[in-house]
Amino acid sequence: MKINFKKLLSRNETVLIFAIVIFAFVIGSKSPEFFTLANLFDILRSSFVQLLFALGVLIVIISGGIDVSFPIVGIFAGYTAVVIMQKFELNGESLLIPIVLAIVIGVLLGGFNAIAIAGFGIPTLIATLGTAGVFRGVMLSFVGASFISDIPIALDKFSTADLIKFESEAGTLVRLHVLVIPIAVITVLISLMLSRTFFGRSIYALGGGVESTRRLGISVKRTQTKIYMLVGGLSGLAGILYVSLQRKANPYDLAGSELDVIAAVVLGGASIMGGYGTVFGTVLGVLFINMIKNNLVLLGVSSSWQRAAVGVLLVIGITIQAISENRKNRQRRSATETEGE
Amino acid sequence: MIKTETAQYSVEQIVKSFGGARALSNVSMSVESGEVHCLAGENGSGKSTLIKIMSGVHAPDSGIIRLAEKEFTHLSPREAVQEGIQVIFQDFSLLPNLSVAENIALPTRIFNNTKFISKKETRNIAIEALELIGVDMDITAPVADISIASKQLIAIARATNLGVKMLFMDEPTTALTRKEINRLFQVVDQLKKRGVATVFVSHKIDEIQEICSTITVLRNGEVVADGLMKDFGAKEISKAMTGQDISTTRIAPMLKKTNKQVLEVKKLTSTHTFDEISFSVAPGEILGITGLLGSGRTELAEAIFGKYPVDSGEIVINGQSVELNSSTAALEAGIGYVPPDRLTQGLFLEQSILRNLVAVGVDSYKSKLGMLSPKKLIEVGSRWISDLSIKTKNSANPVTSLSGGNQQRVVLAKWFAMKPRLMILNGPTVGVDVGSKREILEIIKVRASEGMSFVVVSDDIPELIQICHRVLVIKNGRISREFEESELKDSLLYKELN
Amino acid sequence: MSNSLQRFTTSGLLSDRKVTQLMGFTVLTFVVFSYFSSDIFFSRENFQSMAYQVPEVAILSIAVMLSMLTGGIDLSIVGISNAAALMAAYIMTQNMTDEGKISNTWILIACLLGISLGLACGVINAVLISILNVTPILATLATMTLFNGIAIGITNGESISSLPEQFVRIGNGTFFGIPTPFVLMIMIAIVVGFIINRTSLGLKVFLIGTNRKAAQYSVMGDRKVIAWTYILSGFLSSLAGLIIASRTSAASPDFGNSYILLAIVIVVLGGVNPMGGFGTVTGVILATIVLQMVASGFNALRFSQFLYLAAQGGVLVLVMMLNVVLERIRVSKSINKSLGS
Repeated sequence: MKINFKKLLSRNETVLIFAIVIFAFVIGSKSPEFFTLANLFDILRSSFVQLLFALGVLIVIISGGIDVSFPIVGIFAGYTAVVIMQKFELNGESLLIPIVLAIVIGVLLGGFNAIAIAGFGIPTLIATLGTAGVFRGVMLSFVGASFISDIPIALDKFSTADLIKFESEAGTLVRLHVLVIPIAVITVLISLMLSRTFFGRSIYALGGGVESTRRLGISVKRTQTKIYMLVGGLSGLAGILYVSLQRKANPYDLAGSELDVIAAVVLGGASIMGGYGTVFGTVLGVLFINMIKNNLVLLGVSSSWQRAAVGVLLVIGITIQAISENRKNRQRRSATETEGE
Repeated sequence: MIKTETAQYSVEQIVKSFGGARALSNVSMSVESGEVHCLAGENGSGKSTLIKIMSGVHAPDSGIIRLAEKEFTHLSPREAVQEGIQVIFQDFSLLPNLSVAENIALPTRIFNNTKFISKKETRNIAIEALELIGVDMDITAPVADISIASKQLIAIARATNLGVKMLFMDEPTTALTRKEINRLFQVVDQLKKRGVATVFVSHKIDEIQEICSTITVLRNGEVVADGLMKDFGAKEISKAMTGQDISTTRIAPMLKKTNKQVLEVKKLTSTHTFDEISFSVAPGEILGITGLLGSGRTELAEAIFGKYPVDSGEIVINGQSVELNSSTAALEAGIGYVPPDRLTQGLFLEQSILRNLVAVGVDSYKSKLGMLSPKKLIEVGSRWISDLSIKTKNSANPVTSLSGGNQQRVVLAKWFAMKPRLMILNGPTVGVDVGSKREILEIIKVRASEGMSFVVVSDDIPELIQICHRVLVIKNGRISREFEESELKDSLLYKELN
Repeated sequence: MSNSLQRFTTSGLLSDRKVTQLMGFTVLTFVVFSYFSSDIFFSRENFQSMAYQVPEVAILSIAVMLSMLTGGIDLSIVGISNAAALMAAYIMTQNMTDEGKISNTWILIACLLGISLGLACGVINAVLISILNVTPILATLATMTLFNGIAIGITNGESISSLPEQFVRIGNGTFFGIPTPFVLMIMIAIVVGFIINRTSLGLKVFLIGTNRKAAQYSVMGDRKVIAWTYILSGFLSSLAGLIIASRTSAASPDFGNSYILLAIVIVVLGGVNPMGGFGTVTGVILATIVLQMVASGFNALRFSQFLYLAAQGGVLVLVMMLNVVLERIRVSKSINKSLGS
């Protein structure tokens, strides 16, 4: 297998790996605690929920759209699942029920997005901005606006379901949550879906050109509907897992986190114009963002600078991407000749 | 290969309108398997609409589509593909972010309803398809990085690969060299033997005479002729397409002899696109530039307008060397440009005719206080509407309410309003009805006789013969021959092009 | 104004009709709420309070309108307004005596510095979008995160309050009986309306928003125009921020996070085409008034604020759907017309 090194080096993911390595060293040299297993596992743990959201965002962005409603879908699904379980006194020992509930709710909410976007052709940013408002407003008005701390037992116990758990020599608790396995599986499945299934390639095709895709005979509406319902399901799952890991259902949570997730996906190499993006890049992006956010403290920077850090990274990231894109366009310069109809 | 049973693929009494404009009126056409049928017509005749209806992109307002034994009132793109209809569109409908191999293999996947994709299978499908048309290229490259000519070949490979029963080729030879055209015709022959019903859409009479056995001619959305190819001569076909005998009577104005040159291009070079181009244009002269698509002619035109980067060479305007690194610099040097695609490049479709007319040099319409005076703008608009005979009752109407010919006049007017020294027109009468074509050429003639110079880039040879003082032929980025006024004869030009 | 003059200044396919429709809708909303809440809604206190809250939202919406007219969008308006407000608030509180006394010069300096910050932010957006060719959605998403992040970092998430009395008087006082902010809003609306309808810059904005490619081929300095749009948007956002600070006597990094959805609902309701090229200031002002009436109407009718949020999202999605449906009807009507002829 021939490896084109020049091409490899200029790929977004490679740059990101370098960035991660460099930052890891910078942080680690100031505070060696960074390199402890405990810290690394913690970065992983805080990435799980974000990664699920990010995979959904990745799919939407590859198709040429953008979704800002996903955190609301997530918390709506998670919170409502808990409320339903309480209201109907469902079996609190079952882990499966709330998860299934949340996913179903997420898919339904995604369906609303699909109606707006696939059915009516509303631009994706505006559509999801609107649906986010509707979802949040409806949840807080009709499902409930109160903080629930006694979540179903199974969900609560799950938050401490660790795959690996031991005490290190320094006395800190080293825990790797069992979620690492299902999340890894889901990540791999989505990656396979994107590269090996017709549906996945249709998503890329959509990002490459809606009209061309339509002319090929691919049903744009059906593909878009599947996309937004899939993303809704993923967001719902992320939401209920969040509730479990946090051990509380707070309907005000997660709102505003879309910026970090979108930043991770963009930094991971997905182009906002559509048609490009990889799961690997998204995973790197999420890890990178979380590494920075969680470890600012180790650099002596207060946590109130977290958002600014993400903002700086994002601005730098899009600048670099823009410069390389501009250069590529200049190289590709070919006048578009069209013979009119 | 087993020859498939003969089947008929036809449309009957198709009617289609867009907005208020009728595109097709009671059009019927029938093609048999194994037949190579020509669909001829000028730009704007309705050819593309008919193709889009048969491939499911549009639904007809009324009429029937008959595919073998099945009848349809309309098709979806997916149904069309599954009934075996494939179209190679002029813009190829390729996906730039996917690789060559994937683009070629995608229709096969759709046709077979494949759910799972294997990279190896994609490779095989692509290689097989390319072999079929005798082409070799890097199938892993993303289509975005590929030349226009290669893109067209990919489009052809993609379409011919399937169990296709009816294949439309919409102006397929525009970017191909003679060698590649021959190869294409071989492929068409193969399709014929396989029993595919091929529809060859073109307005190039010599090509369609070579390859097609039957013909349907459209003009203004109606069928004006159909039957066996051998029953029609070139002159008859052309008359059917345009509604008139082709005029190659020259209408170019007398050129005053002068040593002054408005434009001098000296060894202009842009790597991989055009090489050491040198020519000059005198005041009031109309210079034609022609060449196949991909020859570099549009890039050259846009380079003189400052819109295409140049690596070396010099441009001299009225004796002064200028740096045309932006279209603003070109405008300041007195150069204007009418782009080839007026719908996407020349007009602001949803805006009013008036706004379109003042779109170039908006700042020059400012009053003393720096404001735009609506009254003044309306005056300017009225002046140009009457000057160029733009048919409209109200300049506040959207420019989409105008016909193609009138729209083109709006684009010309907005540039004339800047009183340019040199106008570069790229495809000035494309998609324009015959009457308007004549009038636009008259407009060019009038202004040239008043001293404005023109560079007309076009592949419409008769048009160039009518209006130009000289014609340059560009081949592979170089000037292959210059035709003086006395040498302008269509047969010579066609020969040089090929 | 003669007929064609009028048509020219608001020319575009439906904008005349839209403003008239909107006026009717405004009156309808007013009547409905006045009827259902004749004591609380239909009262002088309520109208006055609305008149104080409308201006800041209207100005922010006008900022969004400008960026939308060119076919883009400025998502960073709230980040900029808060940054400007914080800057001004900081300068003022730093130069106040302990009794809260301050010279008018300092207030002026504070405001000018706040506005300069807004302009600087606008310049950053302009550089990203018109020089580096970053898509507006992505660029302003990044700058929104950056500006917001820096504001949070510097203030540690806390707001600056107890601003000088002279300053607070502006946001809560009256000018010949009309609330001062309202007067400021009208002045700004007139100036912006003048710019887009009577200057060459304005005409270029409309053309660029309709077809950027054709604008480039028509040589109008499209990049400069787009840059100015975002600089102007930053300027207006900073003005809005100052008004907010004056009215609430406080500046905080997280104020008005929901304003971005509100602004987009308003511009869409106000008849601005999200793809660019069409829109009126009058429409935006009217739409702001409608939304404000809905807010205070809901309040008067004891609907929760969350219902208002859902309503905003709902209005956005419904108006967009309505536009699509109306367009489809228009197209099919003209097809039928030509078939029948």
